[in-house]
Amino acid sequence: MNKISERQIYFFLACIAPVGKLIVMPARLAGYCGNDLWLPALFQFAVQALAVFCVLLLAKRKESLYGLLSDGVGKFVAKIVVLLVGAFLLFAGILPLLEQKLFVQGVFYDTLPSLLSFAPFFLFLAYLCSKPLASYGRVFDLLAPIAIVGLAGVLLFSVGNADYGAILPVGASGARGLLKGTAYSFAWFYDSALLLMMLGKFDYKKGMAWKGAVCYLAGGAAVVFFLVVFYGIFGGTAVNQFFAFTKTSKYFSGFTVLGRVDYLFIFLLSLAAAFYTALPVSGAIESIIQAFGQKKYLPTLLSVLFSAGYFLLTYLLDFRFGDVMRAIAEQAFYLFPAFALLLPPLLLLIRRRKHETA
Amino acid sequence: MKLRKFLKTVPMKLYLILLAVVLFSFFSNDFGLVDIQKTAIILAAGIDKTEEGFSLTSQIAVPKGSDRAQGGTSSVNITTQGETVSDCVTALFGKTGWVPKLVFCDLIVLGEEAAKEDVISYLNYFLRNEYMPDNCLLAVCEGTAEKLITSTSAIDDASSLAIEKLFSDAAEKSGKVMTNTLKDFAIDYYDVGKSSYLPYVKMSPQKGASPGGDSGGSGSAGGSGSGGSGGSESEEQIYTAEETALFAEGKMVGKLPAEQTLALSLLEGNVFAGTFPAKEQGKPVTLTVVRNSGGVSLDMKGAPTAKLTVDVTCRLCCRGTTAPIEDISSDAVSPEILEDAKKVLQGYIEGLWNTCKETKCDVLELKRKLYRSSLKKYEEWEEFLLTSVRPDISADVKSMK
Repeated sequence: MNKISERQIYFFLACIAPVGKLIVMPARLAGYCGNDLWLPALFQFAVQALAVFCVLLLAKRKESLYGLLSDGVGKFVAKIVVLLVGAFLLFAGILPLLEQKLFVQGVFYDTLPSLLSFAPFFLFLAYLCSKPLASYGRVFDLLAPIAIVGLAGVLLFSVGNADYGAILPVGASGARGLLKGTAYSFAWFYDSALLLMMLGKFDYKKGMAWKGAVCYLAGGAAVVFFLVVFYGIFGGTAVNQFFAFTKTSKYFSGFTVLGRVDYLFIFLLSLAAAFYTALPVSGAIESIIQAFGQKKYLPTLLSVLFSAGYFLLTYLLDFRFGDVMRAIAEQAFYLFPAFALLLPPLLLLIRRRKHETA
Repeated sequence: MKLRKFLKTVPMKLYLILLAVVLFSFFSNDFGLVDIQKTAIILAAGIDKTEEGFSLTSQIAVPKGSDRAQGGTSSVNITTQGETVSDCVTALFGKTGWVPKLVFCDLIVLGEEAAKEDVISYLNYFLRNEYMPDNCLLAVCEGTAEKLITSTSAIDDASSLAIEKLFSDAAEKSGKVMTNTLKDFAIDYYDVGKSSYLPYVKMSPQKGASPGGDSGGSGSAGGSGSGGSGGSESEEQIYTAEETALFAEGKMVGKLPAEQTLALSLLEGNVFAGTFPAKEQGKPVTLTVVRNSGGVSLDMKGAPTAKLTVDVTCRLCCRGTTAPIEDISSDAVSPEILEDAKKVLQGYIEGLWNTCKETKCDVLELKRKLYRSSLKKYEEWEEFLLTSVRPDISADVKSMK
């Protein structure tokens, strides 16, 4: 079976994972804690890096998540936990999916298009998720330079238009604002849970745990810098600026002569974001495969089923993004640290039964 | 079999590239072509206050015939009323059948009366609209916006295009006009200072132009639409925006005359190639700014003091008297002119300071500066800062050598 290489894991952590945080999260963070928006993000990246460190250490055991759990706590509990992680990923995937939908409709169309305009995305989703999770390795290879060039281009056109003093005074939102920003931004940070589902698909290499954490922090640093630029450009109106990475670059003065060439970079980031949106679904399918074993048509069937379910969900929730976001990010926020922050270190505590008896 | 064999040889990379191309073309929305016959491409919008609510005058670009002798932009002006701006836009669709499209709207003009109310009460429509560019220019005009938008320009087919010329980068660098956009105005409004500015547009008949004469291009399709714009000017007009309207808490509270507009530009360090007058031995000269830096800082040690600093390097541009060729060939400015220029600029800045103080408009961003430097001091001085701060004005004028 194909394996994801060490490099591809680093690419995911440093280049792909940050892209999912550039669409709606910046505006929401600005809403929760104004000019301090970068502080909760900094905290989230730091604790996620620790969780990533733990997951990568788990890779030393050369087992999948199910394998790890079944060795330690028995097959029945392992099945339940793995399926719960899968269900969590399906739940977590709703927000980026709706973000992606609104983003495509809001940015690439100049009037509100019909829901069907976004429908082809589900064909893409069904196709991609029918592939084994390990095939994402090649995807990460291809997407990493795309994401880097995309973000670098957007930042290049944006940095000159920001008023960096706008993030002062630090701590203006107070403890309440910072807590709110931190708690309600958990919904965008579950990369360690995604990585959990990749366990067994890559081999641990020397120093991989800390290198992976550093890669994640490097990607996080780029996002935090983007947040500073974003707030510097929009100030108090940042809360109104959804689809952040498509907004910051358009004020570049040279565009009066060049035209909106920044759209090229926005397209690149959109491409990376589309694949990132599919990852939770692939993770959920992987969890079912791990729990019930690999069957011939199971991945394809599940992929079509989940894509159809998501399509139905976007149809039903077409104009209820605000409600969905509040429900996921503000009411069910505790689910995210439970799976993405607590589970990895807990898994490290699990020892093989055989070893204990020996 | 052959096909399957061939497909096996195609690398995964190629599939992904193909997928990227398909996604790219899908996301680019080139398939969503605009039906221009059914769409009102709004070039500019003018907003006035009415008894019932608002009136929106939209300047809409319309397709022209293929007669090559007639270039330029054709437009029609439609005025609609409603309780909110959104109602006005909906009325536009109801009355014309055109779907209003704001994506090309580069100018919003506020009528003078409308500007005296909290402008965010109607500009919020544009801020909410995802399909409206928030970097569109914003301006206030003398009288009603309807009258301005429906006027016939002496220099362009569409009045909005003529007005936008006033807000070019070159015009802004001249220091004669302070431009602002919807985004920046909103940022200022929601900031601690709650103060901003907009260019104040005036129009006057073009001397020597025949009433209703041809505007030099194809001529505007002009006139009022189904909403009845009334008051459309048939006389050709020219526009100026040398004055600047000051806003506090979203309401227009005063105006800066041209000199104070220049002072504000100089304080922002914007000016390049702008001119200002001075005197030598009682005779007029004009100086050109070749380098400008400026700034406002707040000193909270002891009594609060605002330091307004302008540094200008200039050259002699013109004398109002005859001059020998040696003088014409030299750009140098005499010490006497420099001294007078310094006094002139100090006078402009003093005037600006007084206007800001009278109108309680924090266009110099003193509150913002204090807030960013110390939250504690800001909370202490928030109420009294603008009334108690003293100015320390410094203008330094140097000659180009």
